[in-house]
Amino acid sequence: MSTAGGIIRALNSGVKHLAIRRFTLRYPEQKLKFVGDGFQFNPETGVGIAGLRGRHILYHEHCTGCQLCAVACEGIAEAIGMVKVNETWKQNKKAIMPQIDYGKCVFCGLCVDACPFYALYMTNDYELSSFTKSALIYTPAQLAIKPKISQDVEIKIDDRGATHG
Amino acid sequence: MTTPLPPGIQLEKVDDRIMTLNVGPQHPGSGHMRLIIKVDGDYIVSCDPDPGYVHRGEEKMAEYRNYIQNIPHLERPVIHDSCNVLYPYCLAVEELLGIEVPERAKYIRVIASELNRCIYTLYWLAIYGIFLGHSTMFMWPAGDRELFIDLLEAMSGARVTHAYLVPGGVRNDLPANFEERCLRQVDYFEKRLKEYQAIFYKNPLLISRTEGTGILSRTDAIRLGTTGSVLRASGVDFDLRKKEPYDVYENLDFQTVVMKEGDSYARSYIPYLEMFESCRIIRDAIRKMPKSGSVRTKLKPNPKGGNDEVYKRVESGRGSLGYYIVSNNRPEPYRVKISVGSFRNLICMPYLLKGELLGNMPSVYWGLNYWPVEADR
Repeated sequence: MSTAGGIIRALNSGVKHLAIRRFTLRYPEQKLKFVGDGFQFNPETGVGIAGLRGRHILYHEHCTGCQLCAVACEGIAEAIGMVKVNETWKQNKKAIMPQIDYGKCVFCGLCVDACPFYALYMTNDYELSSFTKSALIYTPAQLAIKPKISQDVEIKIDDRGATHG
Repeated sequence: MTTPLPPGIQLEKVDDRIMTLNVGPQHPGSGHMRLIIKVDGDYIVSCDPDPGYVHRGEEKMAEYRNYIQNIPHLERPVIHDSCNVLYPYCLAVEELLGIEVPERAKYIRVIASELNRCIYTLYWLAIYGIFLGHSTMFMWPAGDRELFIDLLEAMSGARVTHAYLVPGGVRNDLPANFEERCLRQVDYFEKRLKEYQAIFYKNPLLISRTEGTGILSRTDAIRLGTTGSVLRASGVDFDLRKKEPYDVYENLDFQTVVMKEGDSYARSYIPYLEMFESCRIIRDAIRKMPKSGSVRTKLKPNPKGGNDEVYKRVESGRGSLGYYIVSNNRPEPYRVKISVGSFRNLICMPYLLKGELLGNMPSVYWGLNYWPVEADR
């Protein structure tokens, strides 16, 4: 193979891509669709349910304040602290619930694995940036809110290549 | 007898000709790492690799955390290859605690680690391309890597640091339609790999820069203790997936890729060919995987290892990666020693670069399939 021929062949393989639709996901306008409603865990079987590990969701009616999530986070990120809440639940006598610092959280989801009461799951919400560090600390009340998300773009693969539409 | 020099004129001494160059430590392509290179004109006289800028104390940190809490921080050294980095740790802890892994989980682990090997190799290839000034070869693998990242994200829930493999199996079962989606993307990826060949590996510019540079002979490769693609590029048929099959690799159909040349070109070509083998493994594993069943053995909370020690190793993206764990009846390991391929391949830098042109340094350096953070760990 001559050098010139080789270079022309290499260029040709690149030039072909001018006619192929773009692959890039145009992020702020388009958002990728995820599987399910986020990572969940079934403590009975000890197996998780597939989903994105984004921001947590806390079900106040299930949380007993047992601190197992905070214990699991010790030595990993130390992002979970237990705080007092002004709510009365009969299963939560101490009235403490987890508060998560997303400046520290590494989104490993081991706190979800640790929760035996179906109280702590994760959601598809991953856009958590803020202007202050204190805004990254999510109180139990903030964690209870179900996030509103519109993620609809999926990758399409056909003979002409892969595209996000 | 030399004639005396005119006044004010001095002869250049040999020492004056040698110049010391510091390449790094702020390395544009990868983690921080310094090469102290002595050059005579354009030729390298000696090279002294100087790792240690990204030391994280992973081994010491592991002594203060229990077997589950160790998972997230142990995958940090190579986040692009996080499933393969955790694999030997999980195998070692399973042996230490006496845990049986369900059959389906073994196949899912193989699929996850092969997808992750592709992610790592594509990232490595992207940087290899940009090191040699081929920016298309940066864009294409970086784009195709997104496909695999999306797959692993659907599987494990995280883009890069998956924390997916745990002692006892995997964290969660595969999502619905995963097999079909995975096979479609693997088929597409194999088509893309053939395009890489045309634009990069058959490119005369790459061949002229890498062929015949930094030759590592078969005997030297064995004596220096290299591993992974560097060893296989020098003609040694050694792949832990074949030689010491772990989990279900012995049931799967694939080959070890070996080249005899031992030059930079062979070292860059082997990981590329292995991506085809990874695709074969993924396809075969999806076909042979049990369609249903448990994927994780339930552990006791805070499991304790006995008075025992264990060493397990797997073939990672950078060669053999082993964990040596000693336990002393406590929930935390007594000692964790990580033996990594990056550090072992780094040793042959001075041998390969001696007498080479300085312009060949990037291809030799990155061809070693080296990850600075893993070498320091």
